[in-house]
Amino acid sequence: MFYAQLFVNGLFQGLVIGLAALSITLVFGIARFPNAATGDSMTLGAYAALAAHKASGSFIVAGLGAASATGIVLLLAYWSVFRKLAGRSVVALLVASIGIAFLLRAVLGVAFGHGQQVFQIPLARPYIFGGLRILPLDLQMALVALVTLIAVFGLLYLTAIGRQMRAVADNRDLARVSGIRPGRVMVALWLLAGAVAGIAGMMLGMKTIVTPEFGWEMLLPAFTAAILGGIGSPVGAVVAGLILGAMQEFSTPFVGFTYKIAIAFLIMLAVLLVRPRGLFGRVEGVR
Amino acid sequence: MSLEICDITKSFGGFRALDGVRLTIETDALFGIIGPNGAGKSTLFSVISGFVAADAGEVRLNGNRIDALSPPQRARAGMLRTFQVPREFSHLTVRENLMASAPDQTGESLLGLFFRPGQVRTEEAAIAETVERTMAFLKLDKVADVPSGKLSGGQKKLLELGRALMVQPKLILLDEPFAGVNPVLIGEIMERIKELNARGIGFVIIEHDLEALTRLVPRLAVMDRGKVLAEGAPAAVLEDPVVREAYLGGVS
Amino acid sequence: MEAYLVAIGIIALIYVLLSLGLTLQYGLTGLINFGHVGFFAIGAYTSALLVMNGAPFIVGFAGAALLAGIAAWPIGLVSLRLRDDYFAIVTLGFSEVVRIILTSERWLTNGVQGIPGIPRLYSDLGGAAGQIATFATILAVTVAAAWMIRRIAGSPFGRIIEAIRDNEEAVQALGKDPPRFKIQVLVVGAALAGIAGAFYAHYITYIVPEQYIPLVTFYVWMAIIMGGVGRVSGAVIGSVILMAFLEGSRFIRDVVPWISEVDMASVRIGLVGLLLILFIIYRPQGLMGDYTKR
Repeated sequence: MFYAQLFVNGLFQGLVIGLAALSITLVFGIARFPNAATGDSMTLGAYAALAAHKASGSFIVAGLGAASATGIVLLLAYWSVFRKLAGRSVVALLVASIGIAFLLRAVLGVAFGHGQQVFQIPLARPYIFGGLRILPLDLQMALVALVTLIAVFGLLYLTAIGRQMRAVADNRDLARVSGIRPGRVMVALWLLAGAVAGIAGMMLGMKTIVTPEFGWEMLLPAFTAAILGGIGSPVGAVVAGLILGAMQEFSTPFVGFTYKIAIAFLIMLAVLLVRPRGLFGRVEGVR
Repeated sequence: MSLEICDITKSFGGFRALDGVRLTIETDALFGIIGPNGAGKSTLFSVISGFVAADAGEVRLNGNRIDALSPPQRARAGMLRTFQVPREFSHLTVRENLMASAPDQTGESLLGLFFRPGQVRTEEAAIAETVERTMAFLKLDKVADVPSGKLSGGQKKLLELGRALMVQPKLILLDEPFAGVNPVLIGEIMERIKELNARGIGFVIIEHDLEALTRLVPRLAVMDRGKVLAEGAPAAVLEDPVVREAYLGGVS
Repeated sequence: MEAYLVAIGIIALIYVLLSLGLTLQYGLTGLINFGHVGFFAIGAYTSALLVMNGAPFIVGFAGAALLAGIAAWPIGLVSLRLRDDYFAIVTLGFSEVVRIILTSERWLTNGVQGIPGIPRLYSDLGGAAGQIATFATILAVTVAAAWMIRRIAGSPFGRIIEAIRDNEEAVQALGKDPPRFKIQVLVVGAALAGIAGAFYAHYITYIVPEQYIPLVTFYVWMAIIMGGVGRVSGAVIGSVILMAFLEGSRFIRDVVPWISEVDMASVRIGLVGLLLILFIIYRPQGLMGDYTKR
């Protein structure tokens, strides 16, 4: 029972990781670099959601605020920075994304202060399902994640721009030859990657305490899930996020709470050693 | 002594780049492969040299399967390749490019570098001598100290050949050695290839320029859409109706 | 004033040592090491703990270099066969895990409280003389490291790592195994960072995990990008500019005293971010020119 409870808790944690990994894997697959600003984008999403929630009292408004604020900021980052580095080496994009991460963290720190902030959420008694305790908040968050995932996958698989995004991820040259305009795909990508990171940030903020640094801490688990799922595979990212969430929870009774992130790192090393293309990835991507 | 390519198949996504390619090439031969763009020629080189793993099929060198070997291991077995788009070490000079290519240098490990300086000096002198000879042979001596990124397309092709020669190869896979090279230099490169072949080094040459290739090789294969259409002496192959249909199209 | 300059000089030289390690790794070989601070931390804690348990300084410093180098080995084995950006992620993760271990293993590191009272070099010489002797020692070590990297760059080994940076597949096509070279570079660079860490610990005498955040890694990146990637002179100039930046941002508070300490930290992080972005976009060759300008 104890482990079943850990498993369930882990799955809820895993939703946050999975969404963050989804944002990373979209950018990695289409813009071809690991976006180190993803963690701080989540922080932005959390603060945007806090502000929207304070103003409106509605979590739906908070979610929309997080998604749109983060989406727009990452789009601006693309226009002002990443687009200028097109054709340069991956290290230029990587260093630039670190730069964006630091800038975001600095602006958030000055704007919202360094104190700890929390969402005002009424306490609620957990539901008991066959001995498993599940918080209503967790269920609501799972619902938010589900809606986000349906929206993302709907966009990727049912719309024209989604098909184009997947085509560019598959083979950029082939996509260009077949008349896809990369500019539009990039705008859609950054809006989407930002929105997803923003929602993930809000969810993380609802589970813990929001500080200007808290999103950065999620970067390593999120990268791990993106790699475990297979770089460029949206389904893989979400599945791997859930697996990683569960594994992190399972490990805490043995190694303690502080080593959660270290567990993610060990899993990353193991995946890279044994199966670098991850669960759903292709071989060509990793060498 | 031969390079055997047995039923190699390779797909990228839905695109079948190689479709059951089968070829046997003597390692001291001069062998040409022609075909239109996208025929799978370069992919075939990548599979033979180990940079791309085939979906199915085998590659054998002198009877031994080499599919499990890494690209460096295959190079050390005496089979070198060049690239269609030259991959010079652009910030190194021509001389440094060639010196870097010499195999088994003591100074290639930090321990050797700092603890056997005498040995390193002796080897460097010997390598420098080989490099001078190679540069003279390929007429690269005038640009010896030019950063290789600044060379012309033809000179880069020569440099790639020179780097391969530094490794004491038995067989060299040349990927479009004449593409973007001016006609005078093409003649030059061809002479060098013939000389080297006379010394026992084999060549497999991918080429676009049909006319140039037929002057050079006694035997060639025609590829189209991942398949070998025909193989044999140039004159005979070019008369083959299937080849005329597929490759030469309406040209008569 | 003199004491202040010597103090600044010592810290600047520590950054030069770190920059030299990264120059070897990134500038010459193209390794995107985003976890430099992890090796710096290992060096600092190793030497501090060894010397505080009775070992002589020389053993502390050797231990720092050795352990940092050994820590680099498995990281390289796992990730050096993969794409460059995977290496960046893995090293970044590594440095975070080092900090977590330093925070969690209280029996060894005293956790977040850190280790106070680390012995200084030349403490028997007393204040000013000890400072100057420390400065001279670190200067000698830095010059030796710079000489070593110059020597490596001009050697057969150096030709190959630069060839790897320029085109890794072509190096493979010549029968050479790039990971074999990269791992040596990674280990040497890490050992240099370890020595820098040892100097740091014995100079400021008090170490806590919070000193070893990723920001430090990117200070070093900022230094080599500003100075000029792949050049020893670039590493030196870049570190001097970095030092001026770090010290200068302390003086800003004298001018605008209403900015709080935490806000100042934010401003500093923001400026690092901005400078990284601006240099990468508009002047990737740095101030001194990089390896493309030879």
